[in-house]
Order: sequence, then structure tokens, then C-alpha cells
Amino acid sequence: MALISIRNLTKRYGDAITALDGLTVDIEPGIVGLVGSNGAGKSTLLKILLGLVEPTSGEATVFDLDVRSRGTDIRQFVGYMPEHDCLPPDASATDVVSHLALISGLPRTAARERTAEVLRHVGLYEERYRAIGGYSTGMKQRVKLAQALVHDPRLLLLDEPTNGLDPTGRDEMLELVRRTGTEFGMAVIVASHLLGEIERVCTHLVAIEGGRLLRSAPLGDFIEQTGTLAVEVDEGSAALADRLKAAGLSVVVDGRAVLVAISDERPYDLVRDAVAELGLPLVRIEQRRHRLEDLFRDLPPVPPATVGAPPVLETPAAPTVPTPPTPPTPPGGQP
Amino acid sequence: MTEATTPAGLPAAAAPTGSIYDIGYRRYEGPRLGRGHAVRSLFIHSLRSAFGIGRGGRAKIAPIILGGMALLPAIAIVGAMTMVAQFGVGERFANQAPIRYETYFGTISTLIVLFCAAQAPELFGRDQRNGVIALYFARALRRSDYALARVAGFAAALLIIQLLPQLLLFLGRVLLSPDIPGAVGEDLPSFPPVLAQSGLAAGLLGGLSMAISAFTPRRAYATAGIIALFTIPNIVAGTVLGLGSSVIGTWLLLLSPTAVLDGTNSILFGAPFGSDFFFIDLPDIAWIAAAIAGIVGAIAITVRRFARIAT
Repeated sequence: MALISIRNLTKRYGDAITALDGLTVDIEPGIVGLVGSNGAGKSTLLKILLGLVEPTSGEATVFDLDVRSRGTDIRQFVGYMPEHDCLPPDASATDVVSHLALISGLPRTAARERTAEVLRHVGLYEERYRAIGGYSTGMKQRVKLAQALVHDPRLLLLDEPTNGLDPTGRDEMLELVRRTGTEFGMAVIVASHLLGEIERVCTHLVAIEGGRLLRSAPLGDFIEQTGTLAVEVDEGSAALADRLKAAGLSVVVDGRAVLVAISDERPYDLVRDAVAELGLPLVRIEQRRHRLEDLFRDLPPVPPATVGAPPVLETPAAPTVPTPPTPPTPPGGQP
Repeated sequence: MTEATTPAGLPAAAAPTGSIYDIGYRRYEGPRLGRGHAVRSLFIHSLRSAFGIGRGGRAKIAPIILGGMALLPAIAIVGAMTMVAQFGVGERFANQAPIRYETYFGTISTLIVLFCAAQAPELFGRDQRNGVIALYFARALRRSDYALARVAGFAAALLIIQLLPQLLLFLGRVLLSPDIPGAVGEDLPSFPPVLAQSGLAAGLLGGLSMAISAFTPRRAYATAGIIALFTIPNIVAGTVLGLGSSVIGTWLLLLSPTAVLDGTNSILFGAPFGSDFFFIDLPDIAWIAAAIAGIVGAIAITVRRFARIAT
């Protein structure tokens, strides 16, 4: 049974805005990346799973409980880290997290112990007694994560956990998410518009766009299909592109860089040989797969080629067609 | 049914004996007390927050000043009674003192209104302003639970502000009396009206000010709205009365929360209505009904507001 099961889920705000549009997907335990551009419906989906937003139509279950009717039962075992600021500036991290632990149903002493533990887990030490108003964005994000973990949920929903963080802060937050998910075996869903980040920690990706499911697959499948090799040369990028096109690769010239689609190992050798034979001043070769647009641009043509192939089994569709051979009884006349 | 979490089960199954979780995070295996516990915790948190407890020093200034001033009449009269008692005329003074149970609400009602205006916006406004409300709603309680726990917590704070001085008054009267059991017996009949009046005032003033606070994250707006609600109907009714339309003016008084509470006070203590300038002749039931309608309406509006608020 799936951890989360979503069937034909639709959410409309008034007539104008459709946040989710017939979304159907199953989500299994693990660290699942929920990717989509801004406004794709990620936050709405998380809120529906929490029972905070009523879906317009369709079904969704978490732990096999209906989100419409069993919201409180679900939320008892779910931790939620919202996208936006949600901490009072005049209280300390300890006060906020232990208060929210009580509201999560923990007895008072347990709430205090768990608060100290999770704050240490997210890397807040002495500063946890100071007012949150003086915290950096990175520390605030950690407190937000701590409050989502304090009641030891079975499922953790993180909405853009790296929002507003600098590169170091992002790395630390992602590492924290990865540890929480792998070492403690907690199911995690991370919503993000940054594929490049999310793919570093996730085992599975669910891509949505315009409220519809684009794709749900293990991470490996995505990387294969969104892979782009950027070959940067000081000059002669057009010549290189022509040469690679002639070799049957799909190539785009982007300024000094030549972007080569990679679906297998073959392009690497071809690129190396082409650059060497043309004697081009090579600056760098790097794999690019960090842009969500690539994912969305490259995807539509792909499914018919690879995904579409396996399910169509070549079962001989014969049995019904050749039925005519009933002996043609000639509507003969009377002899 | 809820065991669908991690069939991977790696940490538990694959961990060799003697491995240590030394990373600061452990699973929690203890009890989860659920909604009732959440509501109780939120109630207590609201009660404490109303007095600024658990928050910075600046948050305590207004509640301490207002709460202290509400105690002042009781302290003053008990002090006076102590002095007078030394001259042997304590009993006569105690029964004629201007501060008695039936006048206490009227004496401190302005302070209660100010307390509402200062503190009610702190409870609901802060949660909305900071976005903490999203964290509450993401937990195992319903939106109505949240609203009711907050309102109840604030009403309890108002109850304390009213009952504490009257308890002091009671202790002063009893302990300074030469005949303590007799004095207790004499004051005992005042308990039900004191409790009823304080409860009605806490519910009506607390409920209405929380209902207003529920609609805005901006503290200043909520404070202005509360003061307006507690004064403007009074002024309107007074003006209409002043213009000579005593019937309409009198009925208009039912729209003024403070006038309604003056009415219930006089009914509960069997004292004449303390209006300064006009004879008021409404049926008793009208005052009581207005108070209860106000309480129920305020709570319904608040619950409805939080059922719809976006997080």
C-alpha cells in the first residue's frame, strides 16, 4: 500500500486559478523530491495532504487515511515545514519548539527533552535560548525544520527548505534533510523548484507542472534523460556543432558553449574526438542538468521513445480477426 | 494501517549490535496525547500570554499595570478597613465602604476594557502576523479547537483580573471582622452573583475583543476596533437618550457591551441600575439575553473566521 495515494486530485481557487488539475500519483517512502516551477501546485498539494486545504475533487490518502475526513489523525504523524516565515521574533527557539511539541501531543517533560534533541540535531546550540528575531535566515530555517521533527513524525513535508539560504546554508540544509531521511528512515517529501538541489538528496522525483503530473520516477531515470553535456570552446563552436550533428547527436549552440544531449555513453567519445580533430581551444566540458526548464523542455519528446516502448507488448492481436472461414453455404436455390 | 512508513527498515534491521545513535536525534516512542492535550496546552499558553508570561519584559508592562490597577481599589479599601478597625468602628465602616462586591465591576470595568484592547490583539494578531498559525494548523488539532482554546484562555485571564481583587476584599472583610465565621456567612451569599457577573463580563468583553482581533494581524487596528466597539454604542445610546428619545435610547443600550454588563450587575446583585442620568426600565431578561447573545455570537464569528482563514 502506498504511503500517499493521489487520485485525480483537482483544486481550483474560484474560477480563475487551477492549482491542481487531475493529479494522479502514488508516493512511496523514501526521500521524494516534488519539483515544479513556481505556481506548479507544489504547496497546494502539500497542504491538501495535511488536510489544511479542501480539494475541489478527487481523492488523496496519507497512511491510507482520507485527507478530507481524517486530517487530525494524519497530522499527528506528519511534520510540516512551511515555505514562509512562521516564527515569532520575540520568543526563543526553545520556547517555540517546546510549545509546538506540546500542541503535537507530547507530555511536558517529553516535549522539553525532544526540543533539546531536535535543536541539537539541526545544529542549534547556545543560540537556542535567544530570541528568534536575531537569528540569521539559516538559523530560522533550522528552527522551522526542528519544529517539524519534534514530535517524531513518520512523514516529513518540507516546502522549499533552502529558501533564502546562501550556498553554504543550502548545502547544510540539504545534508540535514538527507540525514534525516536516510539515517532515521523517515519518509520525506521535499518540494522545490531547484532540481539541481533536490536531486542531490532525493531517491525519487515527482515532477508537476500546471497542476498536472509530468513524471514520477526514481532519480536515475531523470538524470539520464535530462543530461546535457556543455562543451565550452574559445572559438569554433559552430564547426564543432556541425561536426557533432553530422555524427547524429542533438546539438544546440549557446554562445561559446555547445550543448549536447546525452542519453548514453556515446557522445563523450565523439566530443573528445571532434574537439581534438578540429584542434579547438577547449575550455571545459561539464554535465549540466541543473535547470528545471531542461527537464520540461526535454521531456515531451522522450516518453514515446523509451517509456512508451516497454508497456506495449507485442501480443498477437490476431484471434478476433480471422474468423470468417465459416463455410460459405451458398444460398443455393432448390435443386 | 499506519505501519506503512518504512518497509526499508534499514536502521533497525541492519544495525549491528552495539551501534550507538550518537547524533542527537532519536525516535520518540512515548505517548501522543492528542487533541485534548493540544487544546489544554494552547489554553494555558493563551492564559499566560495574556499576562505577558513567557515573553519579553516589554510584553509584561501593560498587563502588570492594568492588573495592578484592578487590584488597587481592593487593596485601598482593605488598608482603610485595617486602620479603621483599630478605632473599633471597623464593622460599621466595612458595610458602608464605597467598594463592595456589587460595585467592584463598575469600579474596574474601564480597566478591563483597556486590558482587552491591549492584550486580545496580542493573542490572535501575533499568530497571524508571524505566520505561526500555519504551524498550529499543521498539528493534530482542528481550527475550531485553536480558536476556542485561545478565546477561553483570554476569558480566563479576564476572570482572574476580576476575581483576584474580590478575593482580597473577601479576605480583608473576614479576617478583620471580630466574628470570622459570622463574617464568612454574611459574605457567602455574594459568591454566586460575583462569579456569575465576572463570568459574563469575561465572556462578553473577552469574546468580543477576541472576535475583533481575529480579523486583523495589525495590532493597532484591533486595539482601535475594540475601543470603538466598547465606547461608540454607549455614546450613540447616550446621545439618543439626551435628545429625549428614551425608549429607543434605552433599547440601544443593549448594543453597548459595557452597559449590558452594568445591567446584569444590577440584576444579579439586586441593586438599582447605576445609570447617572436616566431611569432605565428594561425587562431583566433583556440584559441577560443580550449578554449571552453577545458571547455566543462573538465565539461563532471567531470560529467561523478561523475556519476560513488561509494559511
